[in-house]
Amino acid sequence: MLAPVTECLLRLEDEPYGIDDYRSGVPRWCTGCGDNAILTAVQRLCRDEKLPLEKIVCVSGIGCASRFPHYMNTYGFHSLHGRALPVAEGIKMRRPDLHVFVATGDGDCCSIGAAHWIHAIRYNMDMTVLMHDNQIYGLTKKQVSPTSPLGLRSNTTPRGAYLEPLNPLSATLGVSNVSFVAQAVDWIPEVLYQIIAQAFHHKGFSFIRILQRCPEFLPDLFEPWLQDPDKVKLLSHADGIEVSAGLAKTYKNLEAHDPANLDRAREIASVTDPIPVGILYRNSAVPRYEEIRAPDRTFTPAMVKAGLEKEMDKFTIWPAD
Amino acid sequence: MRSHIESTGAGAAKTKPAKPKPARRASGANHENKPDDVKADAMELAPSAATETGSGADAAAGPALRPALLAGYRNLAALRHDFPLLLVAGEGGEGGDGWVRSLSGMIDGILQDIAPQGAEGEALRRQLLGLEREVRALVSRGAGGSLSELWTRAAKQLRGVGDADASSVADNLARARNALRLDGAVIDCDAESPAKLFSHAWTTMQRAKTRAVLDEINELVLGLSDILKADFMRSDAARAPAALKGAVGTSYEAEFDFDALSRLLTDASPRDALPEPRRRRIGAALSVLQAQRFFAPAVAGEDNGEGLYSFAFESCEKAREALQDRLPAMVALIKAIAIAELEIENRYKAATHDAFFESFDENTLTPEGWALFPTYLICLRDAALDAAETATLIELLSSSLPMKIMLQSDDILAGPALGPGSLALGTPSTRLANMAVGLGGAYVLQASGASLYRLRHRIRSGLEYAGPALFSLFSGAGPTTPGLRPYLAAAAAEQSRAFPVFSYNPAAGRDWASRFSVADNPQAAAAWPVQHLAYEDENHQRLSEDVAFTVLDFVACDRRYGEYFSAVPRSEWHARMVPAVESLTGEAGGAPEATPYLLMIDESDALQRVVVDHRLLQAARRCGETWHSLQELGGIDNSHAKRLLESERELWEQEKAREIEALRGQAAPAPPEPAVEQALPAAVAEAPAPEVAAAEAEEAPPSDDPYIETARCTTCNECTDLNNRMFAYDDNMQAYIADPDAGTYRQLVEAAEACQVAILHPGKPRNPDEPNLADLIERAADFE
Ligand SMILES: Cc1ncc(C[n+]2csc(CCOP(=O)(O)OP(=O)(O)O)c2C)c(N)n1
Ligand code: SF4
Ligand code: SF4
Ligand SMILES: [Mg+2]
Repeated sequence: MLAPVTECLLRLEDEPYGIDDYRSGVPRWCTGCGDNAILTAVQRLCRDEKLPLEKIVCVSGIGCASRFPHYMNTYGFHSLHGRALPVAEGIKMRRPDLHVFVATGDGDCCSIGAAHWIHAIRYNMDMTVLMHDNQIYGLTKKQVSPTSPLGLRSNTTPRGAYLEPLNPLSATLGVSNVSFVAQAVDWIPEVLYQIIAQAFHHKGFSFIRILQRCPEFLPDLFEPWLQDPDKVKLLSHADGIEVSAGLAKTYKNLEAHDPANLDRAREIASVTDPIPVGILYRNSAVPRYEEIRAPDRTFTPAMVKAGLEKEMDKFTIWPAD
Repeated sequence: MRSHIESTGAGAAKTKPAKPKPARRASGANHENKPDDVKADAMELAPSAATETGSGADAAAGPALRPALLAGYRNLAALRHDFPLLLVAGEGGEGGDGWVRSLSGMIDGILQDIAPQGAEGEALRRQLLGLEREVRALVSRGAGGSLSELWTRAAKQLRGVGDADASSVADNLARARNALRLDGAVIDCDAESPAKLFSHAWTTMQRAKTRAVLDEINELVLGLSDILKADFMRSDAARAPAALKGAVGTSYEAEFDFDALSRLLTDASPRDALPEPRRRRIGAALSVLQAQRFFAPAVAGEDNGEGLYSFAFESCEKAREALQDRLPAMVALIKAIAIAELEIENRYKAATHDAFFESFDENTLTPEGWALFPTYLICLRDAALDAAETATLIELLSSSLPMKIMLQSDDILAGPALGPGSLALGTPSTRLANMAVGLGGAYVLQASGASLYRLRHRIRSGLEYAGPALFSLFSGAGPTTPGLRPYLAAAAAEQSRAFPVFSYNPAAGRDWASRFSVADNPQAAAAWPVQHLAYEDENHQRLSEDVAFTVLDFVACDRRYGEYFSAVPRSEWHARMVPAVESLTGEAGGAPEATPYLLMIDESDALQRVVVDHRLLQAARRCGETWHSLQELGGIDNSHAKRLLESERELWEQEKAREIEALRGQAAPAPPEPAVEQALPAAVAEAPAPEVAAAEAEEAPPSDDPYIETARCTTCNECTDLNNRMFAYDDNMQAYIADPDAGTYRQLVEAAEACQVAILHPGKPRNPDEPNLADLIERAADFE
């Protein structure tokens, strides 16, 4: 703050936020949908970080997951299918002071939005990306998605999916300038919260793939993993996820993994069973596009206008008087 | 003047009739390849190769005699010293002490960067040092301009001199020039240099600050404009068909139905407009920010068109008036900034903030608030200091206002006072600095023009200090020492204690030890600095002795004091003649019958003894006392500290004596202390093992009550949809059993079955009369 008095006045009027302040409306997701857990984790984080409502923007594309901004009592942009990331980049570029969360589905991100996804990783702009991966197109009622398992029967693959699924973690870890990659599952809220919190604090493009249950169309998809906690491998590290005593009672399959180790991160990413959960990779030294391209000074509307006029004048033909 | 005498170590002098023979401790070569920031090096004067060529000889005709210790400095322009200086232009000079560089330091830096070690780099070193000499000579002859211009001129002349290989000279100098990354005005040490140097330092620092503040102000302008613009975009005016048409432009206007578009936008988007008071508040703050005149944009023409305030003055009175005039505008700007910041953060609360800003005035301005604004630079010459101006100066120094006052004296002796029998050295203006230190709240630096480069960090701290600052400077450029170049005269004043260096920085700490320093003086711990003088006698025998440089030596350079000195022919030298310093330092002013003399040299460098008038000796003694009290303040030979030390030592000695006495009296040994180890184990044994207790607490046996592992709940709504009185969410939006009796056992079991993460445990039935209990209990068994 430039004026010293502002700090004093702000301190005087410090307002606490409750979780309800961040909630808006009743989610229209199906009962039992994993999206609810993700929404709750983000709302808890906003409250714990005391983020002012007007300093948050949630951006999404199209899909069940993309209804996310409607349920946050903050700024939001429910954009076009696959276009959440470029919209978020524009917001961050012009308003670096805002906290940007992106909610996107597996179809939204890895299918129609795949090109934007790759370049967003490379741009490494500061935002928290929640990729709700239910391995299906939910909103349009069960079409195959790029992450659907081989053989999955859907409305577009009645004889079963023909291709091996795309691995969003491996794909992200393969792009230059990648700076934060994590995997979470919606059904371990404590870890989900920790991962989102760390992603939020990471300065750069934080990509979290969240395995998300769609009880409506794929009620049994994650059943084996829900039944058997040993099929989930928690990645723990002082710089990563802290496994609490309560958690360790249920989840005994642990691996110490240093998020600075990119090679090991890539190996871990390629394993799908047991599901690795935790922070695979983090590198806070990667440059951010919004900083690289930040103007060296601020241009007020008057300065922009004056600059344009000056340029235009070069081409103006003044009638001889 | 540590520069000349102290580091050279030896003046060159002879007694008649021997030929001059510079006594060299080291040639100029030992100054090569040392970085700029090795302070001593930049300050060092040493006869260099140029002595022999005689280029840039001191043109001024000196008085017949000068102090013997100044023998080696006749041709200043031929000696490497820290003048001329480069006032670094542009952003290259911002940050730290980068605003000023010495020519020698820069040349050394370039050599270090590009000249290969050893013989290979020798030619380049020689040529570049030649160029430095040429530039110094040009500047000493009065040539001005930027370093790049002077470099070009000097390089041209060097090529003209006819080096064996002219093209290698050109190549080498071109290479060196590529390595020269800075440019700016080059100044010599003269009557103008203090003002030039201070204006430059101040401008450089202000520029960096202004740029930062202006950028933040622009940020606020942008933020407020955005709020108003967003509000406008939601207004009916912005959605009117005509406005929409204007926004689309003429090329495609035929493609749109602007009436329909207007209707659609009006119906579909929110209507909430900014409340009128808020809009007005934002508008008012915005116009204050846009019309401010304190901070000039880096790019000309990007300002508000109105005249910007100037902050450089030539009188304290004018500076004070200007500040008074601007005070309301300052207050308005700070207020607008604070309002803008609150508005942009969406934290302006009319209920409390309105009243606060209503009563916001200059008394509400904090030191931090003041610190945002540019400081005021006032460059004064003591000759123009009348009583009123002096009074204002003192008033400003006693205030907390950011007034940076550079007070320059060209003459610190001001002629012999004409009172009968008494003689006082110094002028009223030179005593101002001593007085300003006493004020306590002002930054004070006293220094001569010769030390400005060496003390650049002190200049910066003074300019950065939040309150007032006085820089009292002696330029050395007075008309009464025509035999000495200003650099030499200034340095001589410092070295002789006539104008000692001291600094007082109230921001450096709370006590004198942190604030006050005389450490920047040559041989600061000594009463008078002593140098080694080497000379030859009639038989060409080399002799040497230690000679003090006192205020008498400085006064002897001033032609107004001629009558106080008289040279004694060698034939009349006698045994009672003593060096004048002895009668300055001796307890009772030396033996009464002694004849004090100074060692001086004439124009052919022949050594002379010059007897000093007793009135002048008295004045010089007073000068020595003033220096001594400065030393004490600076912690050197401090009498309070010494007394304290003495009394502490006495106490300590008494204490020790008592102890020894007591030991002697003690015959029997003391009883042994009880063994601590024996007591310990029992205490430890009583404490329970903490791990076990914790483990037991965690493994609480499940009760018959229903429960949810709340921390694992995924907020999936299954249970809450089933019965939202029985199941509810906590503060983290995770489910718990709010009331087990708000529903049936069946609901508990069904919720457990629906819970995909299986964290809901129905417990045992609470109502034994509920139907189908046996079946439910069996189903519930899966969730125990
Ligand atoms: C350009 C475009 N193409 C197709 C669609 C139809 N569509 C809507 S949502 C969707 C897929 C959503 O799947 P996903 O991103 O995985 O989100 P989910 O509903 O599973 O959360 C599709 C193809 C569209 N809305 N826009
Ligand atoms: S269809 Fe699937 S993904 Fe969409 S809301 Fe329902 S459960 Fe969730
Ligand atoms: S059914 Fe289970 S996971 Fe869902 S809200 Fe209830 S307790 Fe939480
Ligand atoms: Mg999906």
